[in-house]
Amino acid sequence: MATVAEEFPNVPLRGRALPAFGVVGWRWISRNPAVAITPVLLPFIFLYFLSLISPPSLLPLEIVGAMLFTMQNIGSWTLGDSAFWRIECSLQDMFVASPLSRIRYLFGIAFSNLIAMLPALAVLLVLLSYVGAQHGYPFTPLAALALFAGLFTLWILFSSIGIAISSRIKTQREIWPVGNLTFTILGMLSPLYYPLSALPPLWQDVARFLPTTYAALLVQGALGITPATPLQMVFYASLLALCALVGLTITLRLYKWGES
Amino acid sequence: MQSDVSLGPSRPFAGTLAFLWTEVLVQGNERMAMLTSMVVPGIILVFVLILNPSLFSIALVGAIVFSTFTMGQRVLNEAAYLRIDHKANDMYLAGPMMPEAYFLGMSVGILVIYLTPTIFLGILATFVVPLHLDVGLLLLAVAATVWLFAASTGYVFSTFFRDNRAIWAYSSLFFNVFGVLMPVFYPLGLFPAALRPIALLLPPSAAAALVQAAIGTTTLTSGEVILAVAGLAVETVGVFLFAIYWARRTVREA
Repeated sequence: MATVAEEFPNVPLRGRALPAFGVVGWRWISRNPAVAITPVLLPFIFLYFLSLISPPSLLPLEIVGAMLFTMQNIGSWTLGDSAFWRIECSLQDMFVASPLSRIRYLFGIAFSNLIAMLPALAVLLVLLSYVGAQHGYPFTPLAALALFAGLFTLWILFSSIGIAISSRIKTQREIWPVGNLTFTILGMLSPLYYPLSALPPLWQDVARFLPTTYAALLVQGALGITPATPLQMVFYASLLALCALVGLTITLRLYKWGES
Repeated sequence: MQSDVSLGPSRPFAGTLAFLWTEVLVQGNERMAMLTSMVVPGIILVFVLILNPSLFSIALVGAIVFSTFTMGQRVLNEAAYLRIDHKANDMYLAGPMMPEAYFLGMSVGILVIYLTPTIFLGILATFVVPLHLDVGLLLLAVAATVWLFAASTGYVFSTFFRDNRAIWAYSSLFFNVFGVLMPVFYPLGLFPAALRPIALLLPPSAAAALVQAAIGTTTLTSGEVILAVAGLAVETVGVFLFAIYWARRTVREA
């Protein structure tokens, strides 16, 4: 039997999926001003509310929480995009029939949604450097490393959770409630906007099973907001990696690509 | 052959009950969506409980007002979904039922189903907030007014969208700016003094401020009370009448 390359010699079988999806992400925000503004403003609306009701000393912790929550929310956007493209546009069938693999498709959608979140993350980073320095938590290279490692891990993990859930969704009506409920609850169970010690004991136990908790503890420890020894930091990083690995294994098994 | 079915103009609001019951049946199957209506108020109540428990009673009253406000978001999503995805409103409105009945029936149907979480918050409030009869009636009145404002706004907004994908971003921004940024879950006194008239002119924060004043957690001058009441009433009636006009107009244009 002839291979695709032999049968269709002029059809490109290789392409730059990531830049292509990057253009999709850029077009999406450039054509819809609210899509560009909303991810930037939403964390600040919550930060403003939190700054009014909580002690000022918690502000650096809350900014870190807003960054991690923003990155986690990419999962919800990935869910929405992949479900919309599959159900409404029937685009996924075309991707399945193309040489694009499901992992590259996942990274493509995750990357296109990352573009919409980058302005918010950049502003929050500047704010963290400024507010952190004022509160005695300087943004050191170690803090930067921990922050970027945490953000990167959450980006990959929650995007894969989003795409796995989206592949099981049957109607557009389900997209918003399922995404909202899943990602908001996962975010709120973790100590993103408050110290882990402020939570009731049972809640703390539940939070210890979530990767976002270790991302938060790692960054809080690196900045010095929540004191942690080097050994504890390694422990948090290892648990973050382990949780992410387990999560990725489960979600990739749930992620339906073709009809099979 | 002559048809027995009259397709001539009907009386205003004809078909409201039919749309209402249809929406009740549709939304009754949307348990997941009902749960999501509690996500933002639930999160904010948790924030307040952990970070500043002394504000919990104010946040709880705010959560009641906010939960009626976000029903407008459900109206927006539902109206857009039926129009864009199902193309159902073309079919509905080709019949003898009136466009304003479509808007009002859908909004009341959503209210009927999504009232359950609001009632739950109300029951919780009776244990936490000093809710005397007069305060309870005030809360009921302002919550109903905020619902009418939000449902009317949600319906009008829904007619502007061409695809479902963009709705989330716009509606999140609108409902979070009006409901979370403004002093709905926190006392009006914590909002910058120079901007308080703006807060009192926006229905959700005006409603919350009136209830906060009634339970004694915020002090309002008589001028501020008049501003809040007038803003709430005038804007709600204005937006409701505009939604009826807009529902009829968009049908004509189609």
